[in-house]
Amino acid sequence: MEMKATEQNRRRFFDYLFTLFIVVSLNFALPRLMPGDPFLYLSGDHGEEIARFSTDQIDAYRHQYGLDKPWPAQYAASLFALLRGDLGYSIYYNKEVSTILLNRLPWTLLLVLSAVFFSTVIGCLLGSLSASFRGKALDRLLYPLMIAVAEIPAFLLGLMLLFFLAAGLRLFPLSGAMTHFAGTAGFWHTFVDIAHHAFLPVLTLTMVRTGAMYLLARNAMTTVLARDYVRTARAKGLSTARILARHSLRNAMVPIVTRVFLSLGGLVGGAILVENVFAYPGLGRLMRESVLVHDYPMIQGIFLLVTGAVLSANFLADCIYRRLDPRIGLSTEVQP
Amino acid sequence: MLTIENFSATYRQNGRPLPGATNIAFSLAAGENLGIIGESGCGKTTLALGIMGLLPEATISGRVLLNGRELTTMTERELRRIRWRQIAMVFQNSLEVLNPVITLGEQLTEPLTTHLELTAGEAKERVTEMLAATGLDPKWMTAFPHQISGGMRQRALIAMALACRPELLIIDEPTTSLDPENRRLVLDLLEDLQSSMGFAMILISHNLPAIRLLTGRLLTMYGGRIIEEGNTSEVLRHPLHPYTRGLINAAPEFFPYKDLWGIPGDPPEPGLITGCGFTPRCCQAGAACTQEPPELSEQGKGRWVACHKGGIETVLSAEGLVKNYFLGKEKIKALKGVDLHVRRGEVVALVGKSGSGKSTFAQVLSRAIAADSGMVRFLGKPVYTRQATAMIGGIQLVFQDPGEAVSHRLTVRDAVREPLDIISFKGKNEREQKIKEALTAMHLPTSEAFLRSTCHGLSGGQRQRVAIARALVMEPTLLVADEITAMLDPSTQAVILRELKGLQHQRGFSMLFISHNLHLARKIADRVYVLDEGYIVEEGAAFEVFAGQIDSPSRQMVAIIKN
Repeated sequence: MEMKATEQNRRRFFDYLFTLFIVVSLNFALPRLMPGDPFLYLSGDHGEEIARFSTDQIDAYRHQYGLDKPWPAQYAASLFALLRGDLGYSIYYNKEVSTILLNRLPWTLLLVLSAVFFSTVIGCLLGSLSASFRGKALDRLLYPLMIAVAEIPAFLLGLMLLFFLAAGLRLFPLSGAMTHFAGTAGFWHTFVDIAHHAFLPVLTLTMVRTGAMYLLARNAMTTVLARDYVRTARAKGLSTARILARHSLRNAMVPIVTRVFLSLGGLVGGAILVENVFAYPGLGRLMRESVLVHDYPMIQGIFLLVTGAVLSANFLADCIYRRLDPRIGLSTEVQP
Repeated sequence: MLTIENFSATYRQNGRPLPGATNIAFSLAAGENLGIIGESGCGKTTLALGIMGLLPEATISGRVLLNGRELTTMTERELRRIRWRQIAMVFQNSLEVLNPVITLGEQLTEPLTTHLELTAGEAKERVTEMLAATGLDPKWMTAFPHQISGGMRQRALIAMALACRPELLIIDEPTTSLDPENRRLVLDLLEDLQSSMGFAMILISHNLPAIRLLTGRLLTMYGGRIIEEGNTSEVLRHPLHPYTRGLINAAPEFFPYKDLWGIPGDPPEPGLITGCGFTPRCCQAGAACTQEPPELSEQGKGRWVACHKGGIETVLSAEGLVKNYFLGKEKIKALKGVDLHVRRGEVVALVGKSGSGKSTFAQVLSRAIAADSGMVRFLGKPVYTRQATAMIGGIQLVFQDPGEAVSHRLTVRDAVREPLDIISFKGKNEREQKIKEALTAMHLPTSEAFLRSTCHGLSGGQRQRVAIARALVMEPTLLVADEITAMLDPSTQAVILRELKGLQHQRGFSMLFISHNLHLARKIADRVYVLDEGYIVEEGAAFEVFAGQIDSPSRQMVAIIKN
């Protein structure tokens, strides 16, 4: 019955490859189904539908970007380009799509990874505390509080923080990722500047995610603490620390870590609202701009990146899950 | 070594107190073996966890003394030093009893490094030793719990529990989930380990053969209380509480041929019953039983039972019955001093060859004939007249030949009503109702047409059912069934016997089943008397008599049915 682990991995890999192919195809089709035309907005401001070009000029542009060819030909061309690593040329920004993505990606990663890190650590800590003091005062205080926090929409929280802390108290900058022309002031200075700018977006994302992580951790720990093997550990007279860390958390980490990795992919796209609220130059903001101006190659590039992130996060979660829980798949080889 | 006084553990459920164990008291000497039996949810595991101080969610009262040190008032830190070092436990074997993400090796060594402060290397050596002693290859130390079989896991659990050489080992259901071969091996293993290591043992099990093999003393628990205590083999052979007897009667290992009948009804909701918790399921409950829970009281040396009636009552006792017939001048000794006892709610088989004196005995019981000497007591009172057979709740007899026992001229209604008429039972309507109840109980129609039909038109099986119904209208405490199926075809015999046993089980009356057919007796009897040439040559619990464990002349008889 049991497949060899390598065989299993290969199969899983092809599953993901196939999914990617489907997504690429959808990615090709979706922008073309949107109403409107990129050349209508080429030099218009957002939302203004001003046709600046003559019919001849539009035809010329269409020819230049290959948009006058039939769909199957465009599809084939885009697939081949993709295989070469060519994501196309942004119509609106007038640059290589890949170049723009590479410029923007680090900012989004900065926000997302920091938020994931902080929310996971805080959520797990509070969740474990709540579970071990279940029904006691601490738990009764934390539980409703965290549920409330988890329910606040990200943009609302962002707006409130922006309004009070940035606009009102002027503690933080209103927009951007760093002060313009601040790059010359030395490494430490730059670091502080970047952290200062990222603080509110990261805080927003962290707060929004901590509630969910807390609930997950509390639930996982509560389940684990009621298990027979924890009772066995207690009967063995082991120290509380060992019972919590080695016997309980180790088991509770299985769902938690899986969830963290699963959510990593989604978060790349999930930062859209927050990035827009704080005018943060990440992928989310880029996506909004591109959609407004119908920049097909740009939109496709972003979608592809987000999809790739989601799929690789899933793949990673799959692998990690198997690592954490010896009962699944791989471990059948461990036997001496 | 271990003394438990007045121990109670109370859980809370939805704000309502839920007693898990109540007023438990017993003591255990070093190296002694104690068995605990009882239905699921009777508090066995609660008691075990209570001894180890592992019931944080329950309120504990009473005392648990280990070598004079009180455990219930200890801090968690102090208790941690006692656990596994002095009291270790083999938990019930399940997939989750060991941590699924930690290797067996680590789980087995961690108590050693914690309690004995051994280095990792020393601990590993000790565990290797223990695994070898329990018959598990030490190579499995690198495996995870899900990678080994149930039998191997049981061995690992035992090795883990004994690693620190505890003084007391509590074992919860070591043999459930094991196949018979592994079961045997694990029990032998426990026996060997105990004789080499000398720990005391509390064995909690549903498996009575395991209890019989390993323990010297036995506690029966019901509804969180100890209701019987005594020497294991005595309790199993001669239970004093109807509940203990019910547990034994439900054990297929003891009764491989008998139909299995569990204890009727369900355990009461804990905390809701004021009197004896067994009252609704008991065959001898009286008014006093619902008033307050009975205390354990001593009934004979070392035997304790918690029952308002002092244990299972004796319904019938025949002592030294002698009966001689004269054939001309020749004296035929039919009964040469027969002693026989029937207790509440049990089926006693009196077996013997034709001419061994069985029917004479039945007739003496019913006072159809008088004994030459000896005494018959019914519910403790001597029987001198036929009063015992002419009362509600008395003795009723059913005989071999329904054609002779029930007049063929009577209608079904008259035949069944006759005994009620004789004792002038209440009014016409009540009698009619009892007739219909009895007929329904024996799966006979109650239509007017059937009631009016005369007995000679009925088949042999139907007629025997009418005869039994006739006995049932009197709600007998003791039903004497003398070869009642001998004249029936095997199928009818099987159906009637099962129905009768079902009624007996449900209503809780006692039955004296007289038969020459050992196969039938083996299907139905809890206890057996073997009558031969006017003597009782063998008596005992059915599982012992039919297993041929008692040496006596009648072993030949058992040998005959075995072939």
